[in-house]
Amino acid sequence: MRISIENFTKTFGDTTVIKDMSLEIRSGEMLALLGPSGCGKSTTLFAICGIHRMNGGRLLFGDKDVTRVSSQKRNVGVVFQNYALYPHMNVFDNIAFPLKVRKETRAEIDRKVQEIANLVHIGELLHRKPAQLSGGQQQRVALARALVREPDILLLDEPLANLDAKLRLEMRSEIRRIQQQTGITAVLVTHDQVEAMSMCDRIAIMDNGKIVQLSSPKEMYEDPTSDFVAGFLGNPPIAFLEGKAAGGGFRLANSEITLPVPSGITIPDHGAAMRFGIRPEFFQPNNGLKLNGKISFVETQGREELYDVMLENGAVLRSIQSQGAGHKLGDEVSWGIAEDRILAFGPDGRRL
Amino acid sequence: MQRSSWLGLAFLSPALVVVLLFFLIPVVLTGFFAFTNMSTATGVKGGAYVLNTSGLRALADAGLPKSTLEQIEGAGYRVDAKGLEALAADFGQPVADEFASLHDGEVFSKRRDVERALKDLRSNPIRKTRDRKIAADLFKRSLLNERFDTLPGFEAALEEAGIPDADRPLITQVAYTGWVWTTENFGFLMSLDSTWQYAKNTIIYVVFTLSFNVLFGLFLAIATFYLPSGQAATFRAIWFLPRILPPVLYIVMWRWFTWDTGFISTVLSGFGVSPRNWMLDTELHAWTTIVLINGFVGASMGMIVFSSAIRAIPSSMLYASEVDGASRLQQIWHIILPQLRWPILFITSYQTMSLLTSFEYIYLATDGGPGGATEVWALAAFHTALNNYGGNLQYGLGATYALLLVIIGLAASLAYLRLFNFRNLIQKPRIEG
Ligand SMILES: Nc1ncnc2c1ncn2[C@@H]1O[C@H](COP(=O)(O)OP(=O)(O)OP(=O)(O)O)[C@@H](O)[C@H]1O
Ligand SMILES: [Mg+2]
Repeated sequence: MRISIENFTKTFGDTTVIKDMSLEIRSGEMLALLGPSGCGKSTTLFAICGIHRMNGGRLLFGDKDVTRVSSQKRNVGVVFQNYALYPHMNVFDNIAFPLKVRKETRAEIDRKVQEIANLVHIGELLHRKPAQLSGGQQQRVALARALVREPDILLLDEPLANLDAKLRLEMRSEIRRIQQQTGITAVLVTHDQVEAMSMCDRIAIMDNGKIVQLSSPKEMYEDPTSDFVAGFLGNPPIAFLEGKAAGGGFRLANSEITLPVPSGITIPDHGAAMRFGIRPEFFQPNNGLKLNGKISFVETQGREELYDVMLENGAVLRSIQSQGAGHKLGDEVSWGIAEDRILAFGPDGRRL
Repeated sequence: MQRSSWLGLAFLSPALVVVLLFFLIPVVLTGFFAFTNMSTATGVKGGAYVLNTSGLRALADAGLPKSTLEQIEGAGYRVDAKGLEALAADFGQPVADEFASLHDGEVFSKRRDVERALKDLRSNPIRKTRDRKIAADLFKRSLLNERFDTLPGFEAALEEAGIPDADRPLITQVAYTGWVWTTENFGFLMSLDSTWQYAKNTIIYVVFTLSFNVLFGLFLAIATFYLPSGQAATFRAIWFLPRILPPVLYIVMWRWFTWDTGFISTVLSGFGVSPRNWMLDTELHAWTTIVLINGFVGASMGMIVFSSAIRAIPSSMLYASEVDGASRLQQIWHIILPQLRWPILFITSYQTMSLLTSFEYIYLATDGGPGGATEVWALAAFHTALNNYGGNLQYGLGATYALLLVIIGLAASLAYLRLFNFRNLIQKPRIEG
């Protein structure tokens, strides 16, 4: 089912949390709402499922306007960040709850609960109370409860935040598998960019109640529209060089060095502030555009090693290289930037 | 025990002393009084031994032989200092001296013998028959109305009067004016019709008031939960008023409300209903008033406890039930009420206990009326022991009522714990929220 949010505005008292947001989620896709804490992701999610009333704008499921429809009637499954399982019911009753309130027959309920429990691999836990489950098992129960009545839309609010690293990895593919298996339209709220990139068809990056970019993970990574997006995606994160436009080039701040600006980038007026964004994988020993500096930080990340290189003007670039290069803290190095991979941003943060 | 436990006990000891002094001792004393026949008549200290006419009647009823009764009444004529003194006062010292020298310490069983002895005095005979009769009576000794402060004294008197051994214990028991240990209170209470009436009244009182308290408290808590917070606060404040009002003032307001010249009568007289005392005119009205008076006070407490318990339910759980499709009523039934199990148990058992033992509002409002229709067990205990119309306060009997109440209360609380499956309740869920 397609979800269209049109000119959505949400205020709490005097504070406007979301202003004039528009977003279209395609039928059957899994979309990530990604953004820093407090940017309004949960608020958007709660508006979609009807827990929060919208102060302005429209919400459509398919062609149907559901702006004024109560949350009970929207048929949206929600997995809450803390799972919100009912502690006094066992797993079976938790999952059966949405069916029970719709007064489905006992046999029907039994069949559906069994089916969904098998789908999320908790078939043997049905008689337990939530308190007797691990975090991952609780998460699956919450997922089963959201899915059992075959909702048109599935909303997940940071479902993996409470899990340990290994379980999180497992559940990521699990949720994606179930979403694809059921073909449901899903919105995943997260502030973990790896989660967003690995699980979703498209990502909407939010900042301060606005959607700043909406595209596929690959496109978003390679072609960010602003320095905020570029900075938000990527681990280890992108490094920025400050400076200004000088002639046809980019003059580094506090330095005599001028770098050539790659073709295809519109150079602003002489003297205007500019930033170059360089991802760690594109700052390597054997690239062309050399810069001199000193290694100021080394971190081993298993198969790879992360270096911080401090340039002569004090700016820092990051580089990630496979193990065994043998660079040490304090080494003077002269490494190069992949010229065609430079991302240039204007004074307002917009991509040039 | 570990050292830390001792330390904990040491810290607790002042509290334990206070609990012992002000809580346990009254309970223990009640239990102790319940096994005595203490009353205003017996006093709370020891008593003396006196046989009066009513005691004699009691003995006759108990089947004491007539001869023994006569022996008690007329235990013979004894020439002793007391009689001689009286004789000297009425007939002159010489008569007394001579009589003493001849018969001091003697006991005559018949008056005729005394009279003859008086007539036979050599130097100072009493000549007139009437005088002899009067003089002889001065030596008459009877157990009747004679007061003995100690048991040995009384027993000696019985011995002297020649009362048969077999009858003595019963006579001693009847003659004793102090309190004694007894287990008869319980049987006696059970044999009284009024006791069963009190029990019935108490059940009516507790069941109806408790239902009103809990259900109305729940209703208020849930209703105010769904109201905007400003309105909810106003609402709660209004329902809290009866609790913070001094009880006497609160009851005075109710009396004014229900008097024959009060609010209801005045309003209804406009519709042609004749004025009457709406609180006391029928049993139904009395009960309705009592339940409402206590119910409003109790409901406010339930409301506060339930309200805070509802607000402690994580909002995400309520959101979840909404998106799961639950209507308001289903949400209340399936999500809110199950999580109020513990507060409901608490309020129910707490209120049962306090209702069982409380009578102050009834005392102030109807004082058990009309005609004992609202006389509950605790009020009966109070009336019997401490506030009796007849003036004879029966401490022992009242304490028996109270002790039975304590036992019923304990049984009720055990039943509640069983009913609500206490062990399951204390197991806390592991997930936060
Ligand atoms: N009920 C509320 N009343 C007032 N302000 C609120 C309320 N709920 C959210 N806000 C504010 O709205 C803003 C967005 O909140 P929201 O919960 O949507 O953030 P989020 O993006 O989900 O953040 P996080 O990643 O920390 O969950 C925050 O600044 C928050 O303080
Ligand atoms: Mg959130």
